[in-house]
Amino acid sequence: MRTKWFIKSKLLTRRLAALSMSALVISTLAACGGSSNPPTAEEAGKYEATPGDPFSAYKDEITVTMGRVTTANPKLPAGDTYENNAYTRLVKETFNAKIKDQFEANGEDYSRQVSLAIASGELPDMMRVDSKDELKELVDNDLIEDMTEIYKQYATDNIKNIYDSYEGRALDSATIDGRLMGLPATSLDSAPTMVWVRQDWLDLLGIQLDADGDGAIKLDDVEKTAEEFLKRDPGQSGKPVGIPFVNTLNTSDYNASAYTMLGVASTKGAFPQYWMKGKDGSIVYGSTTKETKQMLGVMADWFKRGLIDPQFGTRTFDDITALYTNGQSGIAFGPWHIPDWGLSSVKQMDKNAKFTAYTLEDADGKVNVAHANPANQFIVVRKGYEHPELAVKIVNLFYDKLANDKNVETSMPEAAKYQENGVDGSTRPFNIEVNSATSLLDDYSDIVRGIKGEISLDQVRTTESKNNIKSIQTYLSDMDTDNVTSWAKYHSRINGVGLIDKLTRENKFVWMTPAFSGTTPSMKQTWANLTKMEQESFIKIVTGAESLDYFDTFVSNWKKQGGDQVIQEIEDEAASEK
Amino acid sequence: MKQGNDRAKGRLGTGAMYHLMMLPGILFLLVFSYVPMVGVITAFQDYIPAKGMFGSKFVGLKHFIYMFKLPDIAQVFSNTLVIAIAKILLGTMMAIIFSILLNEIRIKFVKKSVQTIVYLPHFLSWVVLASVVVNMFSLDGIVNQILAFFGLENINFLGSNTWFQPLIIGTDVWKEFGYSSIVYLAAITSIDPGLYEAAGMDGASWWRKVWHITLPGMLPIILLMGVMSLTNILSAGFDQIYNLYNPVVYESGDILDTYVYRIGLVGRQYSFGTAVGLFKSVIGIVLLLSANHLAKKYTDRKIF
Repeated sequence: MRTKWFIKSKLLTRRLAALSMSALVISTLAACGGSSNPPTAEEAGKYEATPGDPFSAYKDEITVTMGRVTTANPKLPAGDTYENNAYTRLVKETFNAKIKDQFEANGEDYSRQVSLAIASGELPDMMRVDSKDELKELVDNDLIEDMTEIYKQYATDNIKNIYDSYEGRALDSATIDGRLMGLPATSLDSAPTMVWVRQDWLDLLGIQLDADGDGAIKLDDVEKTAEEFLKRDPGQSGKPVGIPFVNTLNTSDYNASAYTMLGVASTKGAFPQYWMKGKDGSIVYGSTTKETKQMLGVMADWFKRGLIDPQFGTRTFDDITALYTNGQSGIAFGPWHIPDWGLSSVKQMDKNAKFTAYTLEDADGKVNVAHANPANQFIVVRKGYEHPELAVKIVNLFYDKLANDKNVETSMPEAAKYQENGVDGSTRPFNIEVNSATSLLDDYSDIVRGIKGEISLDQVRTTESKNNIKSIQTYLSDMDTDNVTSWAKYHSRINGVGLIDKLTRENKFVWMTPAFSGTTPSMKQTWANLTKMEQESFIKIVTGAESLDYFDTFVSNWKKQGGDQVIQEIEDEAASEK
Repeated sequence: MKQGNDRAKGRLGTGAMYHLMMLPGILFLLVFSYVPMVGVITAFQDYIPAKGMFGSKFVGLKHFIYMFKLPDIAQVFSNTLVIAIAKILLGTMMAIIFSILLNEIRIKFVKKSVQTIVYLPHFLSWVVLASVVVNMFSLDGIVNQILAFFGLENINFLGSNTWFQPLIIGTDVWKEFGYSSIVYLAAITSIDPGLYEAAGMDGASWWRKVWHITLPGMLPIILLMGVMSLTNILSAGFDQIYNLYNPVVYESGDILDTYVYRIGLVGRQYSFGTAVGLFKSVIGIVLLLSANHLAKKYTDRKIF
């Protein structure tokens, strides 16, 4: 972990140096900013063998620089890197385009890199941005290409159908002033933050969680289990640790969040960091509600009793993953896909590790969950890059051709091997998902029927599902298998998505639709400070540095220091849209 | 005639050469210190990178006013001052004491080995040292194990607002005192040994010699180093804190540089960040000038 830091910090220093030269850079930037025009499709055509074709290659090798979002445990085969792997080689082969990474980073470090890239004016040719806010800023600054025409011309029918399955919401989110400014990642409602519990430890200690077997458990159950794990140290690490949480505590994205307290929040009907409609129809910020206060009450109580990691707040994401890997902790809050990239490292260290997924239900036995934001990740192309259509073509290649080709083994053998071995999707050129709105449960039904033999492998919709079926069958035939991929796929699909599927059918979810998900003008100045205040206040309350009543002080400060203004702006925006 | 001409040419020749040798330094200063100064204009604008300094709108003192309205700014300022002053004071004291003690060691081999060991941490970056510090001071780190051995309660050094500042100051002093003692060692060697002999004749103890000869002899250097370090009084060490802090200790550990970095750069409020940075420089200049003035007034020595 620390070596990674070192590399990152070298990059950081370089970029900071670049920034200190900003006076120079800025003036040059200003000089060329106005003059460059986006190349038209015809112009682009002169580089391509068959212009306008969704998969056309370039006559001469071209280079594309990228900002890449990495993962702690991508499972790349030895020798392969984010820059040079089966997927990037596939792009080279198919399009004659060579991918170079301008920066690679993960989590908050990635956002920093993007910020620095914008500040220094050194944008990579393509990168992912992680909020509408950033997308807007790039448009305001005239730094990225208009993709409207290129998308129409180059996207395959399949890709268009996928985006259309969101009834316009997906593309709308990337559209500013009627122009499509980026390719959005689709975010489907992947439902609640789950509680992943070490099943082998439960068995060892003879604890029966979820006696009624409905997949939903109460806060009490989590508490008791955490207590037992602490007391009896089933991982035999000698230093068991309570439930670890990341210090951001919350996120407005259920799907991409791990180790947050959203699970606890849902039991109180709290939606921190979401904009919601209050009972009287006015806009409310979820982090300031009394439900959130109740949630913090639970957390503070847990912390006092040692059920939460005593070093809460100071640990990084990787530190937390290490706690699970070392067998020091056995309860993890996270989305359905966390076994694929996070918990899989536990299996690597401990052959016997098994997890079961639960959701937390409220006092009425319902599971509260918020609808996902329409989209909060976008692939953007630097203004002035000669081949903006390459972005669409890469999307075509990975989210249509590679996903749907029935003969991947022969047509793209190297990539097929990657998929079989469960190499993380983040190693693709774009670390995003582009799936139809119903794909999560569609794929699940394919997988279940595939395992049972009700449909043949050729009838399965996507290549990924096909591989998942094979992996899961491997796991089912030998549950003690050493094969980490098949272990992970079983856990994420059958345990994780299976639970979502079951609870959906049983109608156990209560959905909250966010009232607002964008940014307002005054947020630009105040939001960084407000977010800092929220994070600090919550940590203080949880760790007991402040009493629970400090929450009220936080709320009134939050309102005074710009929160009220932001709410007013959102109300105005809503009023003007009517 | 011929001779004189030669001599004149020679003088001019060497002088020009000397001046030429300054060129890289001047260029360096121009490019890295003076050109970026133009950038302070952005502190008075709503700066948008793509529009550049000439296209962005001027907003006067808006960002400065916002800065003083921020509730945390007083806290951040006091953190910066406390940490920086403590680092300067303790660091200088340690370095002086160490150099005096080291000077007493007569065995060359021991002296050299001690020196090397103490200099070493200076050459490691905080990126590396931070992980060492984190490992030592975390809840299950060696320091807490020692505390536990003596039956003391465990302390979450990196997550405690009481302990974070002492930790930052202590580790910084540890890292730097050896290296900064080099100057003081040099100062000690330049003191006339005759003075010590004379004092010895008069029956002065070791302590008396240090007090009346060594320390006064070092005074100009101590003063010089002190005044110079004042320019950095508002830079309490970005790398160190950035690599060690976390949201729990923002309250006690956030300094101007980390605050500007987070709110200004990561939050992409460039103008605001520049405004805070500019304010910091202004205070730095005021401090430097007044320190120089005081030094002249009371000790009749100054650096410029």
